[in-house]
Amino acid sequence: MGKPAVRRHAGLARRGHLAGPAHAPNVVLVPIAAAAMFGVLGSYHTLLGRDAGVAMLVLLVAFKMLEMHARRDLFVVVFLCYFLVLTNFFYSQTIPTALLMLASLVALLATQLSFQLTGTVPPLRTRLWMGAKLLGLALPLAGAAFVLFPRIEGPLWGMPDDSHSARSGLSDTMAPGQMSNLAQSEDVAFRVKFDGPVPAQPQLYWRGPVLGSYDGRTWTRVRPSRQARPQPLSLSVGGTPVGYQVTLEPSNTRWLFALEMPRAIPELPGHGVTLSGELEFQSLDPIAERVRYDLVSFVHYSLQPDASPVDGQWLMLPYGLNPRTRAAGQALAAEPDPGRRVAAVLRLFAGGGFVYTLQPPLLPGRDSIDDFLYGTRAGFCEHYAGAFVFLMRSAGVPARVVTGYQGGEMNPIDGYLTVRQSDAHAWAEVWLPRRGWVRIDPTAAVAPERVQRSLARALPPPAPFGFEGLGRLLQPDPDSLLGRVRYAIGAVNNGWNQWVLNYTPQRQQHLVQRLQEGLSHWQSLALIAMLCALLFLVRKFSQRRKADPVDALYSVLCQRLGQLGLPRAPDEGPTAYALRLAAADLAPETGAAATEFLRRYSAYRYGPQSPGTGLVSILRDLLSRVR
Amino acid sequence: MSQPRDWLNRRRASWRRKATARDQGSVLLNQRRVYILPTRAGLGFCALLLILLIGSVNYNLGLGFGLTFVAGACAIVDMVQTTRNLAGLVLSPGRAPDVYAGEDAPFELRVENPTRLARYAVWIDVEHVAEPRQAIDVPAGGSTTLVLRTATVTRGWMRAPRVRLSTHFPLGLFRAWSWWQPDSRALVYPFPEQDAPPLPMLGRPSPDGVGSTGSDDFGGVRSYQPGDPLRHLAWRQIARLDPDLGGQLVTKQFEGGTVDELILDFDALPSGLDVELRLARMTRWVLEAEQRALPYGFILGRIRYDAALGTAHQAACLRALALYGLPEEPA
Repeated sequence: MGKPAVRRHAGLARRGHLAGPAHAPNVVLVPIAAAAMFGVLGSYHTLLGRDAGVAMLVLLVAFKMLEMHARRDLFVVVFLCYFLVLTNFFYSQTIPTALLMLASLVALLATQLSFQLTGTVPPLRTRLWMGAKLLGLALPLAGAAFVLFPRIEGPLWGMPDDSHSARSGLSDTMAPGQMSNLAQSEDVAFRVKFDGPVPAQPQLYWRGPVLGSYDGRTWTRVRPSRQARPQPLSLSVGGTPVGYQVTLEPSNTRWLFALEMPRAIPELPGHGVTLSGELEFQSLDPIAERVRYDLVSFVHYSLQPDASPVDGQWLMLPYGLNPRTRAAGQALAAEPDPGRRVAAVLRLFAGGGFVYTLQPPLLPGRDSIDDFLYGTRAGFCEHYAGAFVFLMRSAGVPARVVTGYQGGEMNPIDGYLTVRQSDAHAWAEVWLPRRGWVRIDPTAAVAPERVQRSLARALPPPAPFGFEGLGRLLQPDPDSLLGRVRYAIGAVNNGWNQWVLNYTPQRQQHLVQRLQEGLSHWQSLALIAMLCALLFLVRKFSQRRKADPVDALYSVLCQRLGQLGLPRAPDEGPTAYALRLAAADLAPETGAAATEFLRRYSAYRYGPQSPGTGLVSILRDLLSRVR
Repeated sequence: MSQPRDWLNRRRASWRRKATARDQGSVLLNQRRVYILPTRAGLGFCALLLILLIGSVNYNLGLGFGLTFVAGACAIVDMVQTTRNLAGLVLSPGRAPDVYAGEDAPFELRVENPTRLARYAVWIDVEHVAEPRQAIDVPAGGSTTLVLRTATVTRGWMRAPRVRLSTHFPLGLFRAWSWWQPDSRALVYPFPEQDAPPLPMLGRPSPDGVGSTGSDDFGGVRSYQPGDPLRHLAWRQIARLDPDLGGQLVTKQFEGGTVDELILDFDALPSGLDVELRLARMTRWVLEAEQRALPYGFILGRIRYDAALGTAHQAACLRALALYGLPEEPA
């Protein structure tokens, strides 16, 4: 305490030069840096773009550290490190990444404050603590700025092509085996927040691409150019509307998914949205970031009940393929009621010994639908939907494959329905007179539990590492502890996505509006005022507590003696004061008490021994006798 | 139109008044006395924040916004902490010993930190003098004393220079500074003339008659004073005293009395000489007489001191010389 710590700084302070061993000369550094840059060029074949840019930045920081002369260079390195922290977010923006960011910031702040020090250098732990404290003070401010700083919708200029890597998602073709890949993926496709009650699981058909052309192996979309004239869409709806909000994960495709049947085109900020004749929503450009849109759908609907699909494209079949299936379909056509034809096929699927499995035997032959219907009889949604549509078209019923997602997992903690890639599904639509396009899910005929519950629970639990019971443990059972933990993590992640990563200008506007409304109530204002007052009182109180009680008593004594006409001179110590008091004409008891007080105070303040306990009470007692 | 200018002028005048006002006794640097501006690094940091923000907008990085705002908030916290690194310090002037013109006047300054916040890297320097600068750290509840050396040129009172306290701590993005005019002054004696003529030994006869001229009758010892010839040091006594235990150098004093009383009379000096030179010569003589332990009388204008010897006498004479023709108070 009080030890003089005066130092003169010749080098560091005056010219801002750094102490320490001399750095390598530029003659050595420049060729190495150039070689490293060529290495980046060789690896990425470019110096621009995201990955190459980040690599260059890392190199820049490394070489700058080898080439530091002055204090200014330290700032350059630290500032470059801030960029380095930012570039990490190109790759990951999860909660752990955010925590890593905070840790990096503590290190950066500690570095920055370390080179401001001149004399005493506290140990590294103290300096890290100082950095952490600085960061801790900054966080509330940063939170307020995050919520209130006006958000601008990006991008300001074109994004590099590689700014978002490819992600899995539904494609706009369907070939055998494709969806079973998706079914293995636990990636989130989108999340849905319903405004009102959630429709029953079997009604959760999320409509995506509609496939109408079949080449014997792959179902593809009907090209719009082949349509003679776009039919006007007529959709009549009934029942209660279902309002909901979809948060779509980036998929690098243009598909937007909607609960069948949506009433209007969703509005997507920053993207144009188109609607096709098959009621598919597409954005004009690939969705490379998380987007959110609001929709209203009706689960009871009829689509184009009065306009017959005249152009025959929903009846076309590749010539000469699958003769047995085609013959079966033609046989069905004898039934005059198309609805009965449909029912007959569904009966066939339900009672014909068909098996629902995600690992079906391969169908390499030319007539793959024949092989499936009359051979393996094992498959999943895409097999059943494809075969069903083929059969219906053979029977003269206009039919098409609809792909999308079915079901979803409700998180009871935050009320969000999570639809994963494993919920990808394919079903069929047939056109029936007066009823329009009717959704038929042939998979439901084979495996009703696939639609009743969700895919994951329709299948026997997997056995990780060969342990049978382990799979059951990992099942999303909302009642088990693990299940609850899983839901909690899901809810936290979703909240993070909704509020941190996808805090759009719209969301901000909404929130600020709600804040304004909330603040306009007198109750909330009163609450804030009370909190402020409480904070003030706590501060005041803690300040009073901070003062040394002995010092406080001393100042009271001095004040009291001042009132008695003997104020302490500003430069007078307690001992000198006591001497002066002894010479003054005070009442004997007062004089004795004050002198004794000052003696004890002096011993406490300047004496080598630590004060004994009870000093405060003794002094208080003495003080009470001074009057 | 002229109103803002008037206001500015008034503001400036009040600033100047405040800046040049002397601070009586010890001074608490409160927030109002601490000025703050961003440094060049701070401006760079501002540019950095802008680039971080633009990057976050362009690539739609939610966490990028977070980083930008956290970094920006850190800068604001740094601004507050830089101010607080100075505010709350208590400054008080310390001793300011007398010096001879041409020497550095050492002003002692005490920086006290009554708060619970340790202060780091507080730079202290003098206005208009770039170097040398000093940096101090003041622990929480502690204090630091430093010595500010200022060159002196002319005799008379010398006021402590205006002191600037500045700091960049913690992050170096801002520079906070405060001015302090310590209420402290040092007396600068005239510079003793080099190669001055010998002491004017031709004074009046001493009232106690004729004495021996001897300056080799040993008459005891007294404490050493700067300037005593080395050969007069009482080495035998010194060897017995440990300087670490408070022992002092002692000088042998020779008695025998002078025949003539030594009078140092300013007016007796050749009037053709420059006043300053005469003062310098008087200074030299005072020192020499003191050194040789010859009691001397002193006449300077209306000031007359009877012949005497010793520190107090010397100080009084030197003080009179330093302030000759000058006002008592520094300007």
